[in-house]
Amino acid sequence: MTDGPLIVQSDKTLLLEVDHPRAAEARRAIAPFAELERAPEHVHTYRLTPLGLWNARAAGHDAEQVVSALMDYSRYPVPHPLLVDVAETMARYGRLQLVKHPTHGLVLQSLDRAVLTEVLRSKRTAGLLGERIDEDTVVVHPSERGHLKQVLVKLGWPAEDLAGYVDGEHHDITLTPDGWELRPYQEHAVESFWHGGSGVVVLPCGAGKTLVGAGAMAKSSTTTLILVTNTVSARQWKDELVRRTSLTEDEIGEYSGARKEIKPVTIATYQVLTTKRKGVYTHLELLDARDWGLVVYDEVHLLPAPIFRMTADLQARRRLGLTATLVREDGREDEVFSLIGPKRFDAPWKDIEAQGYIAPAECVEVRLTLPDGERMAYATTEPEDKYRLAASASGKNRVVEQILAKHPDDQALVIGQYIDQLHELAEHLDAPLITGETTVRERQRLFDAFRTGEIQHLVVSKVANFSIDLPEASVAIQVSGSFGSRQEEAQRLGRVMRPKHDGRTAHFYAVVARDTVDQDFAAHRQRFLAEQGYAYRIVDAEDLDDTLDAERAG
Amino acid sequence: MARPERSTSPSAGAAPVGSPGARSFSEALRDRDDAALVALLRARPDLASPSPSTIRSLAARATGRASVDRALAELDTFTLQVLEACAVRGADPHDRTPHTLDVSAVVGGLAPADDVPADDLARAASATAERLEALALVWDAAPPGAPADLRAAPGVLEFLGPYPAGFLAPEPATAPDGDLLAPLDDAPPGARAILDALTWGPPVGVAPRSEARAVAATGWLVTHGLLERLGGDDAGRVAVPAAVALSLRGGLTHRGVRPTPPVPDRAAHPAATVDAEAGRAAEEAVRLVTDLVRSWEQAPPVVLRTGGLGARDLRRLALRLDVDEATAAQVAELALAAELVADDGEVPASFVPTTLVDAWLADDVAGRWADLARAWLTSSRTPWVATTRDAAGTLRSALDPTHTAGWAARLRRTVLDAAASSSAPLAADDVQDVLAWATPRAVPPRDAVAGVWRGAELLGVVALGTLGGPGAALLAEADGGSGASADPVAALDAVLPPEVDDLLLQGDLTGIVPGRPTRDLARLLDDAASIESRGGALTVRFTLDSVTRALAAGSAGDADTLLAALGRHTRGPLPQPLEYLVRDAARRFGRVRVGAALSYVRVDDPALVASFLADPSLRATGLHQLGPTVLAAHVPAAELRTALASSGVSAALEDDEGRTVSTEADRPRTVPPGRRRGRSRYGPPTAAPASAPAERASRAAGLVAARAEAVVGELRSRDTLARAEAAWGRDGAVLAAPRPAAPPGPEPRGTTEPGDLLGLLHDAIAEQTLVSLETVDARGVPVTRTVRPLRLDGGRLRAVDPARDAELTVAVHRIARVVPVHRPAPTTASTEDA
Repeated sequence: MTDGPLIVQSDKTLLLEVDHPRAAEARRAIAPFAELERAPEHVHTYRLTPLGLWNARAAGHDAEQVVSALMDYSRYPVPHPLLVDVAETMARYGRLQLVKHPTHGLVLQSLDRAVLTEVLRSKRTAGLLGERIDEDTVVVHPSERGHLKQVLVKLGWPAEDLAGYVDGEHHDITLTPDGWELRPYQEHAVESFWHGGSGVVVLPCGAGKTLVGAGAMAKSSTTTLILVTNTVSARQWKDELVRRTSLTEDEIGEYSGARKEIKPVTIATYQVLTTKRKGVYTHLELLDARDWGLVVYDEVHLLPAPIFRMTADLQARRRLGLTATLVREDGREDEVFSLIGPKRFDAPWKDIEAQGYIAPAECVEVRLTLPDGERMAYATTEPEDKYRLAASASGKNRVVEQILAKHPDDQALVIGQYIDQLHELAEHLDAPLITGETTVRERQRLFDAFRTGEIQHLVVSKVANFSIDLPEASVAIQVSGSFGSRQEEAQRLGRVMRPKHDGRTAHFYAVVARDTVDQDFAAHRQRFLAEQGYAYRIVDAEDLDDTLDAERAG
Repeated sequence: MARPERSTSPSAGAAPVGSPGARSFSEALRDRDDAALVALLRARPDLASPSPSTIRSLAARATGRASVDRALAELDTFTLQVLEACAVRGADPHDRTPHTLDVSAVVGGLAPADDVPADDLARAASATAERLEALALVWDAAPPGAPADLRAAPGVLEFLGPYPAGFLAPEPATAPDGDLLAPLDDAPPGARAILDALTWGPPVGVAPRSEARAVAATGWLVTHGLLERLGGDDAGRVAVPAAVALSLRGGLTHRGVRPTPPVPDRAAHPAATVDAEAGRAAEEAVRLVTDLVRSWEQAPPVVLRTGGLGARDLRRLALRLDVDEATAAQVAELALAAELVADDGEVPASFVPTTLVDAWLADDVAGRWADLARAWLTSSRTPWVATTRDAAGTLRSALDPTHTAGWAARLRRTVLDAAASSSAPLAADDVQDVLAWATPRAVPPRDAVAGVWRGAELLGVVALGTLGGPGAALLAEADGGSGASADPVAALDAVLPPEVDDLLLQGDLTGIVPGRPTRDLARLLDDAASIESRGGALTVRFTLDSVTRALAAGSAGDADTLLAALGRHTRGPLPQPLEYLVRDAARRFGRVRVGAALSYVRVDDPALVASFLADPSLRATGLHQLGPTVLAAHVPAAELRTALASSGVSAALEDDEGRTVSTEADRPRTVPPGRRRGRSRYGPPTAAPASAPAERASRAAGLVAARAEAVVGELRSRDTLARAEAAWGRDGAVLAAPRPAAPPGPEPRGTTEPGDLLGLLHDAIAEQTLVSLETVDARGVPVTRTVRPLRLDGGRLRAVDPARDAELTVAVHRIARVVPVHRPAPTTASTEDA
C-alpha cells in the first residue's frame, strides 16, 4: 500500500486528491485514458470508460501502462477485477483493422480470427461487408466504411482505421504569425491530430480552438470544408482565418441560408446541411462539390444526428473535430468516436486557466424570494408553466440592476431564455437586445459596438450561446436558462472566460427564484460549475449588497 | 479336495505346520500386531461397531460390500489407481498358492504424467500402498519371511468395474511365457490397429463381420492368441486377453498417473492482493446483509405458504441492494443462517429481524462478518437451488425450508480445504475437478460445488480463487485452533484498509472519505447524505432530500448540530454552498411540524390558557401550548378532563376525531428459531461440525480410539478361545461351532453372527471345504444339511450338496447357522449338541 494520491473505486471512478504532492504527476499519468468527470476543489473524479481506454489505445498507450499507472499512484490495492477489465477492454481495440488491400481495395483485416467470425455472424454487419478473401480478410464496401466503424464500436470491437485518406485538392495555406504565434498547447493539439489522422481536439471555450483549426489547415494545405453551428460563427471563422492565415476573403466561401458560395475553403452551417425539402437533403452536393482534403467540425458535441449520417460517407477524408467537451446530452459519444475519430488532444480547463490563457471566473447564485402574490400564482400554475413563471419573476430585474451597479466598469452580458422577459429587462436597463429576430447585420453591429466599449450592457437570448466572440465581457448574468443543460452552462461560462486584457476576474451570476423549479435547475448548474472547479457561492438577494460590498472590501 | 491342510496353526502349537501356502485374508489380519489392528479400526470405524466377535468376523466385515464401498468412497484417484494395480497384478484373494508381487512391481506398472517426476510418483505410490495395506484393502498373503505377495482384499475387485484398469481380467504377476507379442511381426495389415484400440481398455470390441480385411486380421489375432472370442451374452465380441494387453502396454497398468490433485495452470496472486479483494468482498457482504435487515425491519416480506420468500419480494430486495436476484437470495440466506431474520410465526407470517439484530448491528464490520461467515460455514442450507427451476419448470423460491441437506456443511468444508491446499487460484470448475480427483467414487454435484463457491466468494472467504487470510482464520477457528491465526475478526481487521476520520467536503456538494470511514463518520454520512460510490474511498452527495431526511430522523439534530458534526470531521471551513444547503433545508423542514399528544384543550379565551399552564395541579398532565387557544396533553382525554375537573374547570369532551396518536412505529422483532421451543422448519441452524476431513477423522477416531483397543483385546481373547475349541473339536470328533464362550455372553441358540457366517462361507468357498448349513425354510422349519459352498453373491449362496449331488441356492438371510466340517461328514451333523 503506497501513500498515493489516487483512490480507485470498484465502480471504475478514480479519485484524485489534488492537494497531494504527487497529484500533478498522477494526473499526467492517468489523463490519457481516464475522462475527467468533475474537478471540484479537493478531489477530482475521473472515470474509466471503454471509449476512454480505446482513445488511449489509439494514442499508442497499452494496457500495461494503464495498469501500472493505476497501481503506482493508488493509495489502496486496486480492485483486481477492474485491472482485468481494463486489460480486456483495451485488448479489444485494433483486433480488427481497416486497411487498403492492393487488389481488393478497402478490407477489414483481423488479427484474431474468432473476433472476425463473431463480427461476421452479427446481424448488424450484414450488408456492410463483401466477400471473404481469406481466413482473416473481408472486403468492405467503401461506402460503408463509416457505418462499419459505428457498428464495430457498438459490438465492442472497435476497428483501427489504417486505410488512409484521399489527398484532396491541393491549396496553399500558411499561418501568418505576425505578432502572435500558436500557443504551445495549440501546437501540440495540431501535431497530435495530424499524427493520428482524424480525431477530436478537446479545448475549453476561449482556449483558441479556431487557431487549432487554422493550424490543421496549414498543415494539410488542401481545400477545406468547415462545418459550424450558425451564421455568426461562420463569419467569425472567416474573419479569424483571414487574419491568421495566408487565405484572402476571396478564397473563403460561405455556404449558409443567406449565401451559397463554394470556394477552396468553404464554411457551411449545420443548419443548411440538414435542411430538407420534400424529405430530401437538398445541399448534400456540397460534400462532393470539391475534392476536400480536410473537413473541420466545430462544436462536435452539438453535431446534429443527420450530420453523423453524412459524415459516415466522408470516411476517406481527414476529419478534425473541435469541442469544449466530449459529453453529449444525447449520449452519442460513441458515434463521435467512430465517425470523426478518437480524442487526439485534451487539456483540462483549469490547467489552461492556470497557464493564464483564460480568465479565472467566480460564480454566484443569487436567490430571490418571490413576493407573496407571485408565490401564490406559482403554487397554482400548471406544472408545465411553472418554470417559465419562476424564471421570469419580475423581481429579477431589480437584482440584475443591483449586480450591474456593483460592476460599474465592466462589460456585462445579460442572458435569458424568454423573449418577453428580455424585452422588459432591456427596457429596464436601457440596453440593446439581441434575439433570434435580430438581423445578422444588426447583430454584427451591436457586437462590434460592445467590443469597442461603445455599449456596456447587452441583453441576449440563447442565440448568443454559440461561437460568438465577446472578448471584453467580464460579467455575465443569467436570468433564465433552458432547464439546466450542462452544455449551455459551459457555453455561457465560455462567454465570460476570454482572457481579459487587465487580468481581471470574470463574474458569472445566476439569478434564481427561491423554492421553485428554477432553484432545482440551478442546482444542476451549480453542480456542473463546481465540478468544473469554479468557486461557487449562494447569496440571498436581500444580502446581495452587503455580500458584494464585503467582498470588494475584502 | 486335494487341498492342502488348513495352514491355521492351533494355538496349542501341537498341530503340524501346514504347507508354506499363502495366508488367507483373515489369517493375515490375525498376524497383524495389536497396534495395526487398532489403527485399522480407527481408520475404518464402521468395522468396530458393533464389536466384531472374532478376527474372522472382523475379516468378513472388512470384506463385506458395505464396508468396502465406504472405504473406497474416501479414496482419491491416485490411491484407487494403486489399488487397481494391486487388484490386477495380485493373485486371486482366495488362491492359496503363493505368488509374488511387491510394492516396486506395483509402482513399476505406473507411468507418471508428463509433468510428474518419476521419483515423486514412486515415493507416493509406496506410501499409498502402505496406507492401503493399513486399511486392509490390500494385504500381503505371503507368510512372514516369504517374498511379498500383495493382493487386493476379497470383495474389492467387484467394485473396480467390469474391466479393472482396462483389463479383461486380473493378470497376476507371473513370469510371461516367452514373448507374447512375437507373432505380431508377421501380423496381417490392420491387426495392430485392432490391438491398439483395445490396449488401454475397454478391452472388448465388436468383432468385424463385413469388411474382409478386418475379419481376416481378427481371425489371425484370435488364432495367434492375441484376441479371444467371447461367448454367452458377449457373443460376437472379441477381447484382448489381459496378459496380451499387459505386454502391449509394456508392463504398465496405468499411464499419466499423478499423485496430487490437478492444479490449473495459473499464476498465484500475491497474498496482499487476495486479502485486499477478500476484505472488499467481506465489507460488501456485511453491507448487503445490513441493508437487508434495515429494509426488512421497515417492510417485512410475507412468508409464502411453502415457507419461502416470494419472487416479487426477492426482486424488490435485489433492487434495493442493487444486485442480481441470485445474489439477493444468497444474501437473504446469509441473514437467515445467522438468525438475523426469521419467520415470525405470526398469521400471516413475515420474515422479520430477530432480537439478535441489534447486537449484531452494534458490532463493527469484522465482528459482523465473522458472525455471518461462521453461520454460513456450518449451515445445512443449500441456497444455490433458490432461483433455479425444478424438473417441472417451477421457480424455486429463496429461503424455502426444504433447501437443506445434511452434507451441505461438510461440502463447504471440503471445498474450502481444496482451495486452501491448492497452489494456484481455482475457479468453481477447478474445484469440481479437484474434488472429482479426491473422491472419484463420491463426486459432489457440480451445481452444489459452484453454489458453495459463489457463497464463499460473496463472503470473501475466497477471493480471486484463493482462500484469503480471513477465510483461513475462519477454518482454523472451526478446527478448534486458538490464537491470532484462528481469529476471523482479527484476520479481517488486518486486511481491511485503516479507518479514516477525515471528510473532504467540496463545493459541488460531494464529500469524500479517502478510506474506510470510522463508524461515527459512516453513521453521520449514512444519515445526512446519499452514497455515490464505494471502494477504497467513500463518495457521498449531500442533497436537499438527504439533509432533510437527516433532520427529520432527528439523529443529526438541527442544522447547527449537523454542521458542527460535519465540521468535526473536516479540515478547514465547510464549503459555503453546503452550509447554505443545510440551513435552507432546515428552514424548509421546520415549516410543517408533527408532534405526539393524547388529548387537547381548546378554549375561547387566551387568558384561560395562561391559567392552565400556571396551575401546578395540572402539571402531571403534560399540558403544553400549541397555539394561542390550543393546548395538548400527554394523558388520555378522559384523564385530562378529570384533572381539569379537580382544578375546578368543567370541560366538554369532544369526540375522537382529530385525536393524535404516536406515529412512532414499533420496530418488529421476533425470537430466533434457535431460542424457540421445538424445531425450526428451516432445519437446525448448525449441522455437522465443519471440520477438516483429517481432523474429523481423527476426532471420530479419538472417540473410538479407546473402544478400538478394547475391541482388539476382546477379539484376541475370543479368537484364541474359538480356535482352541475348533482344534479340540477336530481332534475330539466333535464339530465345533465358532461360538465364543466368553465376553459377548450367551448367544441365541441356532444362530450365528452374520459377519461370522459370511466369513465362514467365504473361507469355505476359498478352501472348497464342506460346511454344515442350517437354513430356515419358508414355513420357518429349520433344515440342516452338509454342503460345499460355491459362490456367494447378490445375497445368495450357491452350494453343492454332495449327498444328493445337486446344486442349491439359498438366500443368505435364510441361513441360520454355519459350521465348518473338516472331514466328509458321514451324516447331517447335529449342531445342537455342540
